[in-house]
Amino acid sequence: MTKFARPLALVLVAALFFGVTGVTLAQDAPAIAPQACAEPGELTMRVWDENWAAVIQESIDAWVADYCPGAVVTLEVVPWDQYWTLLRTNATSGDLPDVFNVSQDRFFFYAENGAVLDLQPYWDEFGVDTTLWGSGMIDPYRWGEADDLYAAPVNWDTIVVFYNKDMFDAAGVEYPTSAWTWDDFAAASAALTDPANDVYGSAVYSEYQAGYTNFIASTGIPPVVGAGRTECTLDEPRSIEALEFLQGLYAEGYMPSVSVMGGASATDSFNFWLAGRVAMVTNGSWSLPTAIEQATFNWDVVQLPRNPETERTRSIVHSVGYVAAGNSDVPDLAANLILYLVSDEGSAFFANAGGVAPANPAQQQAWVESFGDTTVNIQAFVDALEDSQGVTVFDEIWDAANTELVINIFDLNVSVADAVAQACGFIDAQLAAQ
Amino acid sequence: MTAFLDLFGKTPLTRRRAYWGLALVAPNVLGLLFFFGIPVVLAFRTSLLDWNGIRPPVEIGLGNFEHLLNDPAFWNAFGVTLKLLAVVIPIGMVLSLVVALMLNRKLHGRSFFRVVYFLPVVTSTVAATMAWTWMFQPRYGLIANVLAPIGLQDLNWLTRPDLVLFPIAAVVIWQRLGFDMILFLAGLQAIPRQLYDAARMDGADGIRMFRHITLPLLSPTTFLVLILQVISAIQIFDQVYIMTARTTRGGMNDSATTLSLFLYETAFTNSDLGYSAAIALAMFAITLLLTVAQITLQRRWVYYESGSE
Amino acid sequence: MSATSRIDKSEVAEAGALRDDLNTAWKLITYVILITGAVVMALPFFWMISTACKAPQELNTLPVQWIPQNPVCLQNLAALYEQSPNFNNYLLNSAFVTIARTVGQLITCSLAAYGFARFRFPGKNILFAMSLGLLMVPFQAILIPEYLLLRQLDWLNTFAALIVPGTFSAFAMFLLRQAFMQIPVELEESAMIDGANPLQVLFRITLPLSQAALAAFAVITVQAAWNDFLFPLVVAGTEPSVRVVTIVVALLQGERSTPWNLLMMGSFLATVPMLILFVIMQRHFVEGVSLSGLGGK
Repeated sequence: MTKFARPLALVLVAALFFGVTGVTLAQDAPAIAPQACAEPGELTMRVWDENWAAVIQESIDAWVADYCPGAVVTLEVVPWDQYWTLLRTNATSGDLPDVFNVSQDRFFFYAENGAVLDLQPYWDEFGVDTTLWGSGMIDPYRWGEADDLYAAPVNWDTIVVFYNKDMFDAAGVEYPTSAWTWDDFAAASAALTDPANDVYGSAVYSEYQAGYTNFIASTGIPPVVGAGRTECTLDEPRSIEALEFLQGLYAEGYMPSVSVMGGASATDSFNFWLAGRVAMVTNGSWSLPTAIEQATFNWDVVQLPRNPETERTRSIVHSVGYVAAGNSDVPDLAANLILYLVSDEGSAFFANAGGVAPANPAQQQAWVESFGDTTVNIQAFVDALEDSQGVTVFDEIWDAANTELVINIFDLNVSVADAVAQACGFIDAQLAAQ
Repeated sequence: MTAFLDLFGKTPLTRRRAYWGLALVAPNVLGLLFFFGIPVVLAFRTSLLDWNGIRPPVEIGLGNFEHLLNDPAFWNAFGVTLKLLAVVIPIGMVLSLVVALMLNRKLHGRSFFRVVYFLPVVTSTVAATMAWTWMFQPRYGLIANVLAPIGLQDLNWLTRPDLVLFPIAAVVIWQRLGFDMILFLAGLQAIPRQLYDAARMDGADGIRMFRHITLPLLSPTTFLVLILQVISAIQIFDQVYIMTARTTRGGMNDSATTLSLFLYETAFTNSDLGYSAAIALAMFAITLLLTVAQITLQRRWVYYESGSE
Repeated sequence: MSATSRIDKSEVAEAGALRDDLNTAWKLITYVILITGAVVMALPFFWMISTACKAPQELNTLPVQWIPQNPVCLQNLAALYEQSPNFNNYLLNSAFVTIARTVGQLITCSLAAYGFARFRFPGKNILFAMSLGLLMVPFQAILIPEYLLLRQLDWLNTFAALIVPGTFSAFAMFLLRQAFMQIPVELEESAMIDGANPLQVLFRITLPLSQAALAAFAVITVQAAWNDFLFPLVVAGTEPSVRVVTIVVALLQGERSTPWNLLMMGSFLATVPMLILFVIMQRHFVEGVSLSGLGGK
């Protein structure tokens, strides 16, 4: 309960002050304003995506020119696959970069070992109301007794259903709307399946963020690991209900097996969709540019189907974060740069570049508009943010939840009960060891 | 003083040769000891620590080794590695020798074939990953198509614990073949052609020449290839990483987790640097044991033209 | 030992005809095996080239499309250089590191191999075993200690870190030692009698006679240095001025999405120099040497 006490209190205070609800507050949030740095200096910053390096460099240059003349920032780009290996190697000699990217599932290790700087004093000093970011974006980045916010969310991505309109047309199925339910989804999966042409109705069970966890979340419980990181939730009745719903579709032959798709990741099922072998897949906003560039058929996106009982459509949301090294020589400078990068001004660089959506709500519209006059319902991603769930898994638990459970159920035909028992056995042991 | 000098030889000539020998080996041996010996000593040191790489390390004596002996995950990785070793080494060596023998003869397109068989050595790991995962993909893959007539097109090679080592062994052999082929080709080149000419004059057939000339004279190379094969087979890493990247790394229930992968995950996923160093030392001990055995046994089958000094 | 003299002429002719038939059959079998094997060997490489020439729309097809319908090799090449304008510099960095390491190893390892193959000295077996033992320590285990050592030397993110440790090799030393031991010692002894010192013997007699082993050494060492990835990444991965091409290719792979056609184009470009080297070097693997002065042996 203490975990959420602070943001909740802030929301309440803010709500009273502004006389609005928390949700609309997030929409009309006051801007995050950059501030001039106290003293310029030298710092290193590390990111993993070469595709964004140019945009990041641009925003750093703007920070130096406008807010911190004389500062020298060395931007390091490391391949994604080896990013964590290199970071851990550098950590052994205390050489973490002053500012670096983290993901929600990896943040835990660095926070637990005191390797990252507590940014909460800076948020307070800069007057940033951290509740302007959705709770799913920042809760996994809270740490310590007081649930301080250690990372600044850079961007967000939500999950929706990508569907092949041509296949819907051919099968005479109506396009889904955001009001559709699991039952509608099951019916569409059945109608769209065409074994003669080797076409499946849907493939929605893949890796953690884009897959089955969204269905569990819509039943109203945190998927895989409960709040407070104390117990495995996969063996709870509502998790089993969601998994058995998906397994039913698989057993009927409406969904392909992991092996047939060539892998368990969301990228594998998405490529299967691009190849025209499946009508509906779940995937995130990060895949929009790929779909726009590569799809050879008409397509659109729609929010995830609603659980019939809770009537909720719920998406897992993930935010990449910026953190500062706990042992940085220039903590104030690092925090100042981070503030700039997530400010309205700094995140505008990202919004206008398209692709990933900036976490700063003030830039949401700019991101939607960066896709131009497309027929694709980009707004579905923003709508999915409304009722979203932050990432709950971390470190080794990621793999167990991510792939082994999925392969057991959707490839090796292990029963849901046995598969969740095996996964929870591992996860509970890991949680106990923390 | 004389006793010390005697170590280098009894006569001025043998002493001079000993000095020469030491001087010749010194640069490489000293360089190796500095750049690789020191890290190995550091690894030894780390194996006595409980250290996650960030917090200050804690001395725990032989705790990591005790854990190792009682850790089912270690013995599982050991078993997986031995299984791969038993398949990969004999098949890999025979195939590479056969290919080298074929490509050592006068043959149309010999250079072309040599280049093609060398391709796996230079093909990018990522390309190899994509292509091989596809080859073993049920329904659409090449192997599924070959097996389709007997109804096995939907075999899930990469997820079934009892099948996953086959594709991995295939990729290991595939990648290693060109490498060993080069070594064998170089070894075959060193056999004087006159020996074959003389044998042919004596009416020896191909099989006899192979048994009595090629095999014995090639044995120093065969020995080299065998030692290197054992060393590299115990360290199999990339191919497991490659083939299980898209399903679950190390295979379902660690059915394909080799010692190297176990070591890597212990260090970089579980952040247990002390334990990973202990695993490394265990691997070193296993390799050393096997290599010493081979060096001892080499006298029985390895033939050195100039005698083994 | 002369077997032919005891067999009469007709038998010889018969045996010859049989041998010709056998030879033809044998050749046929050889070709069938070689071609089948070649297909398997080359498929991933072919996949790399075909992907490098695909338009984005053709990247995801099932079953796999082996020949792109509208090859766009040149466009992808241009796109690669647009995304990574300094690609040629990184190729040059790789070439520099590779050449320096290979030349270094050629010197240190041929000397050491010769020392171990031909000389008796105290501690010889221990030193040889220790060197060989270093091959047995898994690379993943010394990655962090190696990083810490080079950091201590203040070599991180320099060419020194990329080159110097790579100029020593237990593998190359072992390879060359085995090759030298296959060479008849009499050839060297005669030169020694003429007053040549060991270095002269090594460079004038032993090395020239080890042509194929040197070719194997060159191919393997160059290839290993060129394809080295995790080590350069850890010791010099974040400094663009010393970045090698393998890291640049890996950087094309995004967290969530990867432009496979550009990635494969980059991989292909990085492979070409290795292929050219091998095409040249493989000529040195000729069938059997002719050693002069050993006629009757």
